Amino acid sequence: MKVRILRQKSADSEPYWESFSYDGPMEQSVAGLLDYLNFHDDIRTADGEKTDRILWECSCMQGVCGACAMVINGRPALACETFLKDLKGKEITIRPLQKFPVVRDLVVDRSSIQENLKKTNLYIDEYQPSEKESHAQQYLAAKCLKCGLCLEVCPNYVNGNTFYGAVFVNDCFLVSARNREQRGEIRKAYRQHFESDCSKALSCMDVCPMKIPILSFLTMR
Amino acid sequence: MKKVIVIGSGIAGLACSATCAKKGMQVLLLSPAPSERSQSVMASGGINAVLPGGEPGDNVESHIEDTLRGGRYLSGKRAVTGLCQSAGQILQDLERIGTVFSVDAAGAPKRRAFGGQSHKRTFYCGASTGKQIVTALIMEARKYESRGLIERRLWCHFYKALLREGVCYGAMIFDEKKKQLETVTADALVIATGGQNSLFGKTTGSNMCDGYAVGRLFMQGVALKNLEFIQYHPTTIETAQKKMLISEAVRGEGGRLFYETNGRRVYFMEEKYGPRGNLMTRDVISREIFLAPGPVYLDISFLGKKAIDEKLPEVKEVCAKYRGIDICREPIPVVPSVHFFMGGIAVHNNHETDMKGLFAVGECASMYHGANRLGGNSLLAAIHSGRTAANAIADEAAERVMREEDFSSELAGEQARLEMSMASKSPFPVMYIRDMLAETMQRSLGIIRDEAGISAGLEDVDYYLSVANRISYDGSVSAYHNFSLTGILTLAKAALLSAKARKESRGAHCRSDYPEEDENYACATIVSYDGGSYTVSFDKEHAYES
Ligand SMILES: Cc1cc2nc3c(=O)[nH]c(=O)nc-3n(C[C@H](O)[C@H](O)[C@H](O)COP(=O)(O)OP(=O)(O)OC[C@H]3O[C@@H](n4cnc5c(N)ncnc54)[C@H](O)[C@@H]3O)c2cc1C
Ligand code: SF4
Ligand code: FES
Repeated sequence: MKVRILRQKSADSEPYWESFSYDGPMEQSVAGLLDYLNFHDDIRTADGEKTDRILWECSCMQGVCGACAMVINGRPALACETFLKDLKGKEITIRPLQKFPVVRDLVVDRSSIQENLKKTNLYIDEYQPSEKESHAQQYLAAKCLKCGLCLEVCPNYVNGNTFYGAVFVNDCFLVSARNREQRGEIRKAYRQHFESDCSKALSCMDVCPMKIPILSFLTMR
Repeated sequence: MKKVIVIGSGIAGLACSATCAKKGMQVLLLSPAPSERSQSVMASGGINAVLPGGEPGDNVESHIEDTLRGGRYLSGKRAVTGLCQSAGQILQDLERIGTVFSVDAAGAPKRRAFGGQSHKRTFYCGASTGKQIVTALIMEARKYESRGLIERRLWCHFYKALLREGVCYGAMIFDEKKKQLETVTADALVIATGGQNSLFGKTTGSNMCDGYAVGRLFMQGVALKNLEFIQYHPTTIETAQKKMLISEAVRGEGGRLFYETNGRRVYFMEEKYGPRGNLMTRDVISREIFLAPGPVYLDISFLGKKAIDEKLPEVKEVCAKYRGIDICREPIPVVPSVHFFMGGIAVHNNHETDMKGLFAVGECASMYHGANRLGGNSLLAAIHSGRTAANAIADEAAERVMREEDFSSELAGEQARLEMSMASKSPFPVMYIRDMLAETMQRSLGIIRDEAGISAGLEDVDYYLSVANRISYDGSVSAYHNFSLTGILTLAKAALLSAKARKESRGAHCRSDYPEEDENYACATIVSYDGGSYTVSFDKEHAYES
């Protein structure tokens, strides 16, 4: 099986494609494939040239930490839960998320996600839950991995400078469910950094690995 | 204003940082990746506490006794008492900062049964207790970030502590983006880097927990404790990428372990230990599975789809996604796997090490779990230890008089060494040595050990250490993977030496050549390092915890 990977040596160098042949087991995930290419033997390109090991981020290897988000065959996904047997075609292409600056190879800097949440003061100061707690929804919103897949796929998200994307909605929802007093402020931030630019394409919900019903939070009052 | 550096942003690092900030101290929170990537998010089962409305007869004393007994009486009673007494308050605080606990129809938090405990006292958040707690703690930390009391830095790795004459002045860190070392100084340094997973390759946990910080501190003279006590979780499922945890909650909900002979199911835990056999402590069950005559399965199918969907959705999903197994219809094939480290940095009751100003919290510190940890006690310990250290730092009479210690020449020396090594090329990839180490450790420190196996492991590790010291830089992996190798190998050797010295079987340390528990070893193992020589001793005077 042929694997094409978009690589980059450092933050300020040019990206380039490199091809590999994969002859390992097919019940692997893409994370398993990357491990295999890197460490099964010396790493060589499809042309037999020696090359550097492919850098990518991973931590849990079971779809709960969001580290391994990348674009696989054009679709943003978590590498550790995307299985080779489910991919169509004889070739796999892998590239880093495009909406974030590349650090090296498939590793990107997603710190803008946390920065935006900090800038808009999304925290519960005093715990004052609403009378009717939206328990099940809060549970789901709190599962957000901050993986950035929803931002990658969103037609309106550019770089997080003004429009903060779906990930922002989760935390807005969480804080306003837990602190009635802060609702006004959050509503303002939400309008400014989300509502005004969201075209409700809702592609975010299709790619979200946690299946968070972001749509149901949009009606946030 | 006192300044504190916290290394690692899992639950322990977050809890410590937030408490320090709450007490008006200035915190620098360093980690390579955001908290969402820490191993803490993987915890699923729950967190223990005794709160009003629990099972009749349950009380804090019984939580203390269960913890001490589960750890085969190696942990100090005072430390464990502190842990269990604070649990109720911790649960309330977690709720107050917005942790979404599972609740019953009346809105009261629900409890489930966990192994080794006399009463049902494990609170949980659906199938993602750790994740829900991390999300709440991130928000709590964000509050103090917005107020300028916590500064977070990502892409940073611990390199070494700045130590002089038994006093810690801060840390040398490696900035992965700048590819440079730098020094940061403070009144206190708190290590919260999690477990030592990479010693064993792929475990149930995160591959970002590698034990390097612990190994490096050891090489700098910090004593380590109880390294031979490594918890094998009895129930994990083998997948193409790793062994994944099948939560103890399955057995808490009635799951039954069995193997088959002649087409007949043998419920071996129940046969040997009675009706609660499936909820024995992890050390006992792992050993029984290891000794079983054939493959072992865990059956929960009798619970029915509805209850499984409600109570164990993540177990169902993991088995379906990674193995194509439907747990509502078939039993789960299970094997034990390395899961948790009871041992780590030796600390006193306030979580300070022997070095003034150097603290360790969470899984990297050894304190509450003795020879075997109870499920649900380590999330609790991560928070309790983080808070305890923060309180101790706050209580120190005054800001430490920062002698004008100058670390610039030490920094220049380390930077030059790192650059020189980066400029060289290695024919021997770092990751292969790590893989070989993992094989050695799995073999020598398996569920059942003996002198010969441990000695063979020591020979292997000595060889890897000699290679590591000779090889130059492997440019095909990150700088961190290069410079962390010696620390990891040194830690592995310390663990093997500790296991060799403990000539008895206790909790998770089971030796076929010394199968009985021996009163002479009813105390912690301490290992220390001085310029290449290792010393193992036993803490008979209980210098580290009481
Ligand atoms: C699958 C699984 C399920 C579990 N379930 C439960 C449960 O139900 N109940 C329970 O009580 N316990 C459970 N545990 C155990 C518990 O989750 C951990 O013990 C606990 O979360 C450890 O928290 P911590 O903050 O000490 O470390 P971690 O969460 O591991 O955080 C370590 C931090 O240190 C950073 N770090 C590591 N090395 C360096 C370095 N060199 N430089 C800088 N930073 C570094 C990491 O990036 C991370 O931020 C489970 C563990 C696993 C693996
Ligand atoms: S909302 Fe979903 S896709 Fe977006 S960051 Fe959170 S988990 Fe990832
Ligand atoms: S490695 Fe954690 S989600 Fe893939």
